[in-house]
Amino acid sequence: MIALLSLVLSAGFSQDPLPPVPPDLPSWIRAKGMDELYYKSAPYNWSINRIPKFARDMYATGVGHAMAYEALASGREAELETTTFERINRILKNPPRLPVDEMALSPTFVRKYGYLEKVFDWAHTLHFQTIDVLAYPGWNDARKEQELEELWSFYQSEPYALTGLPMNMEYLDSLSYSKNFRHRYPKLNGLFWGYHWLQTVNYDMLYRVPTADQAPQYEVIGDRYRDVELYNETRDFMPMTAELSPRFAKRFPQLANAFDNLHMLHDNVNDILSQPGLTDLQREQQLQIAIYRVLDSTHQGESEDTIRPNSLHDHRHPPSMPGMGMMVGSDEDEMYMSGMGWMNMSECGHCSVPMPEEEPWGATVTADGWTMSVRCLMCARDMASETPGRAIIRAATEDSKKLLILVSDDEGNWTSNISNVVFLEKFGEHPDCSGWSRAFTNDSALNQYLVANPEYAGMPGLNLSAWSKLNQGKPDTYRRIDRPNPYKRGGDK
Amino acid sequence: MKFQTLFVTALCFSVASVTIAHEGDCPFCKLKLVQNTAEQDNEVVLRFGNKKIEYRCIFCVFKDQKRYKGDLVVYAPSEKVGEPVILKRTEGKWTGPDGVVFLNSFKKHVDCAALSRAFSNSAAYDAYVKKNDLKDTKALTLVEFIDFVVKPAK
Repeated sequence: MIALLSLVLSAGFSQDPLPPVPPDLPSWIRAKGMDELYYKSAPYNWSINRIPKFARDMYATGVGHAMAYEALASGREAELETTTFERINRILKNPPRLPVDEMALSPTFVRKYGYLEKVFDWAHTLHFQTIDVLAYPGWNDARKEQELEELWSFYQSEPYALTGLPMNMEYLDSLSYSKNFRHRYPKLNGLFWGYHWLQTVNYDMLYRVPTADQAPQYEVIGDRYRDVELYNETRDFMPMTAELSPRFAKRFPQLANAFDNLHMLHDNVNDILSQPGLTDLQREQQLQIAIYRVLDSTHQGESEDTIRPNSLHDHRHPPSMPGMGMMVGSDEDEMYMSGMGWMNMSECGHCSVPMPEEEPWGATVTADGWTMSVRCLMCARDMASETPGRAIIRAATEDSKKLLILVSDDEGNWTSNISNVVFLEKFGEHPDCSGWSRAFTNDSALNQYLVANPEYAGMPGLNLSAWSKLNQGKPDTYRRIDRPNPYKRGGDK
Repeated sequence: MKFQTLFVTALCFSVASVTIAHEGDCPFCKLKLVQNTAEQDNEVVLRFGNKKIEYRCIFCVFKDQKRYKGDLVVYAPSEKVGEPVILKRTEGKWTGPDGVVFLNSFKKHVDCAALSRAFSNSAAYDAYVKKNDLKDTKALTLVEFIDFVVKPAK
């Protein structure tokens, strides 16, 4: 129903080619001068450096943003795909050990569009401090989650804060200038979306993961980022936080939405800066309007119940995912994910059975550039097994405080963060798979489960090696959502 | 006789165990995987360690093989349902059963699952060509097939 409504309305999308500046544009946007804001004072700051490769890659994304904006603001569009790309690429391949002041690298951009830098810088601070909290070894998970709530309040206390409400991504990407940058400068756009892939995939790498188990995952994620995602020109839409870090996005929807809104603002800004034919005044006004659309202050008094379909004030979200706005072609929980096709976020990505609503929550699989939620360990293993390349599984155990992290090599040989991990797998009906396919932190925990669940009595515990070799094949419950790619008219891929 | 029955049973069991086919997309050509039917197998399964990865056709497998550093086993659908041709890459060298021949005559990649296939012998190949009224085709040996697939595109 929602899809039909979206289709009807989107077919009639006739946004003003250059909308006028809204009367309630915040005055700070027109104010000259900088406003340097700094991190919330906290013991966790710079914990990102505990994962050195990740930190360096993240610092390099700032350099990449700044160099691209400086070229765009200086009228050097003609060299974006050549000289600018190569210059940025050299930095990405030799990333800095410390964060670099983006303003020092983009003086023209900051002089012309300082208001943008205020918004970007403040949101990037939120990005980094969220990572710092999750990577900090000094607190337990509960304290970290409390701090993330406080960090969000701290962020919102400044006028440059972006809204944490879900925004309709189809609407925000349907302006007269939309998609201009990705079509004209696919290599540079690939870099931007690569940065945003890294900035969204990392949260599930860190969330509720023991700090000792975070860096090993980055060996897989970092290689994927540097080898593939930075140079991926085939992605249909920017990476979404809920797409790549579904657990984090579900727990902290306001953060996930703010990051997505930030990344959409980047896309809007790229499109406006590279749009030919605009006067300086028109360009400046459209940039200011782009900021206005996603500011927290613009949506004051609204909530996720504010629904004006396909408009600026459309805060619908998929029912099972509050941390994501509606996407092109979305219908309730179904969305099109680049690299995976259509998926239903309320269902297991492998067996299509609804995800469990109580503990154990299941698992996630990260492989081939995507992250999918699955119901059980068997679904996780078999889904990774069907996919070329290394993979990461993050899964619930009987102890809600102990997350199982499995990392595989190219051949599907797994290593575990829990040395005594033992698995139960008594293959049966998929709707019950979260009962008969489980991981336990030790034999004793498995035995307690078997006593409490006599239907599995006598089942042997499997060690990691034996479990890795199993493959239960195609789930008979799996259903492919056979709809065309909504980003490509007339083709199914 | 008992041995033959046991062998066929074991073979069927092993085939079932490698038929994993999620209805996803081919890792190489990104087109939808083609599922098995009652009349004809279509699922090409590549085994790499514990990985069992499905491809749309054997052309795609050989085009994509460089990404795998190690030994491979490929279960290529043949003219017989449930009896794939088993190809192996061991230390970089491909081998297959005696008599195996290949068809590779698609003009558009969307036709690859039907027109890039393995056959356990020439007679089966001839029957498939006749049944599908294919023109200007040639049965390729494993070496010829690999040469054809890996040659640089024009």
